[in-house]
Amino acid sequence: MEITVKIFRYNPETDTRGNYVTYKIEGDENDRVLDVLEYIKGMRDGTLAFRRSCAHGVCGSDAMRINGRNMLACKTLVRDVGANITVEPILGLRIVNDLIVDMEPFFDNYKKMLPYFINESPLPEDGRERLQTVEDRARFDETTKCILCACCTTSCPSYWANGEYYGPAAIVTAHRFIFDSRDEAADERLQILAETDGVARCHTAYNCTEACPREIKVTKAIGEVKMAMMTGKV
Amino acid sequence: MGLKRDVSLSVGLRYKGPSGYLTYILHRIGGLGMAIFISVHILSAFLGGKTGVYLNGIYENWAFQIFIFFCVLFHAINGLRITILDLFPKLLEHQTEAIWLEWAEFIPLFGVAAYVISSAGLGA
Ligand code: FES
Repeated sequence: MEITVKIFRYNPETDTRGNYVTYKIEGDENDRVLDVLEYIKGMRDGTLAFRRSCAHGVCGSDAMRINGRNMLACKTLVRDVGANITVEPILGLRIVNDLIVDMEPFFDNYKKMLPYFINESPLPEDGRERLQTVEDRARFDETTKCILCACCTTSCPSYWANGEYYGPAAIVTAHRFIFDSRDEAADERLQILAETDGVARCHTAYNCTEACPREIKVTKAIGEVKMAMMTGKV
Repeated sequence: MGLKRDVSLSVGLRYKGPSGYLTYILHRIGGLGMAIFISVHILSAFLGGKTGVYLNGIYENWAFQIFIFFCVLFHAINGLRITILDLFPKLLEHQTEAIWLEWAEFIPLFGVAAYVISSAGLGA
């Protein structure tokens, strides 16, 4: 089948603004959008720039807007988006080159959530694991799946309007630790999220939940953090 | 080097969000509509005279009343949905169903009201 791909291009050395270039290629409906991009880069235009690493939906490198919606190119089949495909960079982050955006502000917000296990209590007597029940583990199971691709954060209208907002991905990370019964820094994280650029900026547009390639119910996780903040109960 | 971070209104509106994004946009339009309505009210009372009468004419117009009814009703029902889901985050798993329920309430209520207001407006 013939696939028509319109790609956002921006060369920082020659362009003052982005433009779209259309490529027509032969492909299969079972190809992934990433395969299509690889083909164009390999066979048509080696200057096309995009990120990818694992190509299997694990590393979170290739988040992009495909036909107007955030997706991972490696998890999106041509048959799911049709033979006319528009590929653009994700929104709300500075465009560096073609489909590559500057992820630094995104990871800065991530770091603000203290994204590591904090527990100063002595180890259990046997000196081994800090155990937890199956139920306690289940409380944050979903948010452990985040691959930090930024699909959620860059689909959020509150984040588009204000880049200082920590964004859904950072809150998902915080959720993962706040609701972990073994972690002792929930209050600290809730305080960080109570700041002006924290959860209060979530206006439940649900774009994040729909955009998540790992099917994390992001808005629900944010809702649980908001509730924990209100009640003081984790 | 690189392009500046910039998400214009038109680019944002073109994002293909799910049903929740539409309600998000309409909620903002509703809020803005009510703010305009109240501002026109205050201005007309404040300015009085011919300008006041002119401004009265705007918000007493039946088409404007339908618009303002849309704004108030949608903002209220959508706000109620958001409040309920915020208070019971578990229900957020059923956000899509909640949005369908919202439309199921809004469409008949708005339809009847729009019919009544427009028939009165056109009959007058
Ligand atoms: S390339 Fe790793 S997630 Fe797509």
